[in-house]
Amino acid sequence: MSEVVNILIASVGGQGGLTLSRVIALAAVADGKSVRTGETLGMAQRFGSVVSYVRVGKEVHAPMFGYGEAHAILGLELIEVSRNLHYLSNGASLFTADELKPPISSSLGIADNPRKADLIKEICSKARKVKGKVYVVSAKELAAKLGNPRAMNMIVLGAFNREFKILSDSAIEKAITQLLPGKKGETSIKAYYVGKSLNIVPTC
Amino acid sequence: MCINKTRLNVIREVLQILLVCLLQKELNPLKAPAGTRIALMGNEAIARGAIESGTYVITGYPGTPSSEVLMTIHEFGKGLDLYAEWAVNERVAFEIALGAAIGGARALVTMKAPGANVASDPILSAAYSGVDGGLVLLIADDPGPITTQTEQDSRWFAELSKLPMLTPSNPQEAKDFVIVAHELSEKLKLPVILRTTTRVNHTVAPVVTGDIRPPCKYVNFVRDPPRYVRAGMAWNRERHAWLLGQLSKVEEELVGFRVNRVEGSGTRCVVAEGVGYEYVIEGLERLKLRDKVKVIKLGQIYPLPKEFLRHALNSCEKVLVVEELDPYLEGKIKELAYESGLKLKIVGKMEGLLPEVGELGVNPVVDALKRFLNLSLQVETSISPLAAPPRPPPLCPSCPHRNTYLGLIFGILKAGYRREEVPIFGDIGCYALSVNPPLNAIWTEHSMGASIGMAMGLKLSGFKGPVVATIGDSTFFHAGLPALAEAIHKRVDMLVLILDNEVVAMTGHQSTLTWGRTEMGRPTKPLKIEEIVRGMGADNVAIVNPYDIDKLVATVKEYLRKPGVNVIIARAPCALHAARLYGVQKRYTVIPEKCKECMACIKITGCPALYIGEDHKVHIMIEDCLGCGLCAKYCPFDAIVEVKSNE
Repeated sequence: MSEVVNILIASVGGQGGLTLSRVIALAAVADGKSVRTGETLGMAQRFGSVVSYVRVGKEVHAPMFGYGEAHAILGLELIEVSRNLHYLSNGASLFTADELKPPISSSLGIADNPRKADLIKEICSKARKVKGKVYVVSAKELAAKLGNPRAMNMIVLGAFNREFKILSDSAIEKAITQLLPGKKGETSIKAYYVGKSLNIVPTC
Repeated sequence: MCINKTRLNVIREVLQILLVCLLQKELNPLKAPAGTRIALMGNEAIARGAIESGTYVITGYPGTPSSEVLMTIHEFGKGLDLYAEWAVNERVAFEIALGAAIGGARALVTMKAPGANVASDPILSAAYSGVDGGLVLLIADDPGPITTQTEQDSRWFAELSKLPMLTPSNPQEAKDFVIVAHELSEKLKLPVILRTTTRVNHTVAPVVTGDIRPPCKYVNFVRDPPRYVRAGMAWNRERHAWLLGQLSKVEEELVGFRVNRVEGSGTRCVVAEGVGYEYVIEGLERLKLRDKVKVIKLGQIYPLPKEFLRHALNSCEKVLVVEELDPYLEGKIKELAYESGLKLKIVGKMEGLLPEVGELGVNPVVDALKRFLNLSLQVETSISPLAAPPRPPPLCPSCPHRNTYLGLIFGILKAGYRREEVPIFGDIGCYALSVNPPLNAIWTEHSMGASIGMAMGLKLSGFKGPVVATIGDSTFFHAGLPALAEAIHKRVDMLVLILDNEVVAMTGHQSTLTWGRTEMGRPTKPLKIEEIVRGMGADNVAIVNPYDIDKLVATVKEYLRKPGVNVIIARAPCALHAARLYGVQKRYTVIPEKCKECMACIKITGCPALYIGEDHKVHIMIEDCLGCGLCAKYCPFDAIVEVKSNE
């Protein structure tokens, strides 16, 4: 792996993709690392496609990276993951919630309405082309068990950091507390550890 | 000019800050002591820069990607001694900042690029009168464009207004340049433009904080007509000459701040500014050529730092200019080389090495560097994505604007017109999303407040049918007021719908003039849209709750047939904002056995909480439902029912 780790976060506006990118950024700085993020703020935050670029390393300059350059994709929704697979680099890993939120275009019959199982299969076959590993996590269900399905972003973060080990647990705890004070933060920290302790094997 | 603090004040300040930090568990970006390394978004860093520079008046109008500067102060600045409030529009915001700065206070005014167009009149005059306290104007451009109507390159604005301009490359510089801009502004007595682009405003990076100085408030304002009265033509010529004289000092004044610098050496040179510089460094590292190419980084954009550039370019044989949007610097540097007799090959966008459309990134810059350096153009391959169904941002679940446009469309039909016979003029705000299926509502969306003027123009040009203008509450205050006055005065028949959701929703729920208290807790006098509209002389005015859709349909039908300027104020709070403030009272769910798969709910509402499941029936994403019940109203089989929510 090169010195800078490129992470792409794919989500639907409102799911917590921006919070996830912010937690990684805060934790990276708490760990004394350099970081850059490139965010989609504004209108897309309202149920639109949202992509965040996060880059962590010793010295980072650009806030974004190009196609075929993500070492990891963190997904909160499968259609959004499928939309961004061209960012996967060779041997990259993809951690995604098994969540499916069909957009209006699907519901109105303007576009396809993919089935979850088919979508996971297609994501796998694409990822295989770059020798990528795909981890599909039932993140929402696990987060709901902790009392807040919105903490699914931290489940995905835990699964990612278990494999990548680029951030210390204490820095992540600190970042979450800083960003989400109170009960939300407590649940999110729990969710992170649940994600991290998942004994997951790649789905494909 | 801002007065320096006394030693005693410094000690008191530091103690206060330390106390605040001890009491607060989480790190406050505005109050953290000097030397703290924090992850900050560019706009948060600019807010911090405002505090460090002792800016007392901070104002602006919300606009992506600039809004978070004031929002950060609203979130973290409680208790700080400053004025940080939204203004009704960018020109008023600028005038407020100008008024503060001519009295010696330091001021910052923030806006997106189109906002600078709105404020251009006072900005251009301000260059002639100048300021005493520092006045920094943040203009945030949006290459891409990601959330803006045009890819405006506001660097031209510096030339047009003859005001110095700085462009930072990252959040650390964004913060530091606020302080530099204030120093320069006070030294030269000129407003200074801080120009950013989205990837600086909305990137998070480590920022090291600096010292905080006490706020610079009003010092003194003396009557001086040649300086402040722009009615005298002789005075204006004098002030123009003065302005040119001040501009000639900018480069020298900035030397100590090192906003321009040279990295590396060689005869192959790259001139870069803004985020483009970061892409160049990243690209050169990728090509393992960082020390073999001379990088000339410009922070001072206007006036061009000619002395610095002549010196830096002296040893160059070839120059690549990397910049976002227009080939602005490229042209300026070619001009400089010509007038200085430098024999250089200068390339950039004009030679097609970089695109003029869209934002830059590492890859296009690497490609340009390879072509510039005659390296082989290896094409890096990546897999293709899956063909995913498009997901443009829709109107939110329970959004009152959905009801308003549905009510309007049904009202048009009830009044006996076909939809294609009645143009619906749109305006800037969330409600522009009604352009998408299934509503397919607005016909135009142009610039702030344009709906009313454009509807009027079509009508008076001979268009026979009815015209409708739809405009949000904040947009109405911003630029709709003069247009409505014009339409009423000229007796042009039209229906105006003011979509009053009681907040500036699209940019992140900022206050409007109907609020009784601002974000900082400042008590205000709430204005009433109905009183304004009636006071202007609108022929008929109705206030309708858009969730009462039958009443809205009936009112539209009635008003479309009546002559005059008829105004419907469709008033209901932004559902997303209300849910955040007060929680969700109820939600809806589908009884699968009753769903006959007719899809009426989806086809009518297009609500993003609804979807078709693998069983082909409609389902509701329960955590997204905010409980308006519009889908239930239009379900012919009563398959959608309310569930109590305790969230």
